[in-house]
Amino acid sequence: MPRFDDQDDAQESRAFRPLLRQGPRFARDAAARPILMFEDVYKSYRPGAPVLRGMNLVIERGEFVFITGPSGSGKSTLLRLLYRSETVDEGRILFMGRDIARLKDDSVPFLRRNIGVIFQDFKLVKTWSVFENVAITLEVLGLPQRLIKARVGEALERVGLAGRGSDAAGVLSGGEQQRVAVARAIVGEPALILADEPTGNLDPQLAIDILGLFEEIHESGTTVLFATHDRSLLDVRSRRLIVLDEGKAMDVAMGIAPAEEGYDNELPL
Amino acid sequence: MLSIGTTRRAQRGMLREWRLHALSVFSLAVAFVCLGAALLVVTNLRAVEDRWAHAGRVSVYLKDSISTPDVEALKSALTATAGVKSVRYISSGQARQDFAQTEKKNLAGLSQEAFPSSIEVEVQPDMADAELTEMVTKLEKLPGVDEIETYQAWTDRLARLVRGGVAASGILALVVFASVLAVVGSTIRLALQRRRTEVEVLKLVGATDRFIKGPFLVEGSAQGAMGAMGALALLATLFFLVKGRLDGELSSLIGVEPSFLPWPIALGMVGVGAVLGALAALLGLRRLVAV
Repeated sequence: MPRFDDQDDAQESRAFRPLLRQGPRFARDAAARPILMFEDVYKSYRPGAPVLRGMNLVIERGEFVFITGPSGSGKSTLLRLLYRSETVDEGRILFMGRDIARLKDDSVPFLRRNIGVIFQDFKLVKTWSVFENVAITLEVLGLPQRLIKARVGEALERVGLAGRGSDAAGVLSGGEQQRVAVARAIVGEPALILADEPTGNLDPQLAIDILGLFEEIHESGTTVLFATHDRSLLDVRSRRLIVLDEGKAMDVAMGIAPAEEGYDNELPL
Repeated sequence: MLSIGTTRRAQRGMLREWRLHALSVFSLAVAFVCLGAALLVVTNLRAVEDRWAHAGRVSVYLKDSISTPDVEALKSALTATAGVKSVRYISSGQARQDFAQTEKKNLAGLSQEAFPSSIEVEVQPDMADAELTEMVTKLEKLPGVDEIETYQAWTDRLARLVRGGVAASGILALVVFASVLAVVGSTIRLALQRRRTEVEVLKLVGATDRFIKGPFLVEGSAQGAMGAMGALALLATLFFLVKGRLDGELSSLIGVEPSFLPWPIALGMVGVGAVLGALAALLGLRRLVAV
């Protein structure tokens, strides 16, 4: 299975190495391109009220990017376009050089195998065990059970849930459920992690813990897009920040200033 | 194709929602019992028809005026006829006596004409209908012969009954097929609705529609097959219970030992149940949860 070229430089990144899975039209030179490029993307749900209006954005491999903006600014839409739950009205979204919008429906599952998605409401199957919720990502890939057990064990350990595999997902606390969701997203070693308000249902301390988890994942080389409107999280670490407003992406390099230094005036949050 | 993973996920789904599936299997079993019962009746009627169609008997009723030498001549001629196994003369008195013994009734009030003398001819079971008809035509022309009974009319009536039974079974089969499609389709749609999150998660982690549908198809198929098997088990229990109670009376009445559905038909029912169940599930899954 081919790896990203730049992963060779990150040998210290322990066992977690994002892989580029071969889809129907895999191109090796895609590894040299930015992982994501939005080119003049338009998307609207109602006529005359576009959510994204000619949005342009480039995200390089291995970046950790916060995406923020007021409610309705298109944060979730942007992520949904990426995992092809929605399609663009106009423009292109290139993921590893391939236009997501032009993928045929039967290629979408192969796209999603390269993307880990985490939601505010966790999207766990409550009646399944923790193990089953995480293992399903690998079962879809058709890996043998022995390998699945080993890799799920590793993923649970990474999110601090070692030994909790047999617990029913429904009885876990919110923070634990989100950790399971993170484990499910990373167990397949995707190239890109999308987090849509992953801390929205958690208290501030748990939210910071979960953010720390994402940073650990990012340190191992994975590109992370973290959509949030929680200003406190943006202050925790200095990261690239994309602000969505009026359907366009505004790049605010190296984080944002604290609120008392004019944060509210600078950003439409 | 059917993988171990698909089967395991189907098993997991069925166990987690066993009440829903049990209800579906029960409904299907009721439908299949109707079809199975009809097939059971048709199978046994066909056996009776077959038995009597090849009874190989002809009763030649003689006129009262026939003389003993004519009877002997007729017996000799019949014995020499190709396809005839044996010939037995039954006098009027013997016929009366036999009937009285069989029915255990006082026959004093019945006239002598009620029991004509006859020659009972046993023919080879494989004797062709045309040959039998030809022999009967020749016999009818003889002056001493009053009437000939070949039991053809009775077997014709039985054949009509069997044809009616087959037609009824066909209609019942259509009703059962429709009910399987409706019951399994509804169950699978309900299961899909209840497992909406599961389907969403599967789609998010990159499962193909085939991967998602697989377990539901197995569940539908299993429901159909289990419904048919349940029906067969219930029918078999009832059949052997009734057969045990009636002992040999039924077989002496109809001339054949009643039998349960033959293996090919029983297996066919299970197979049809499985295929229809899978088809119903496939139709129920036309629109998966959109993610």
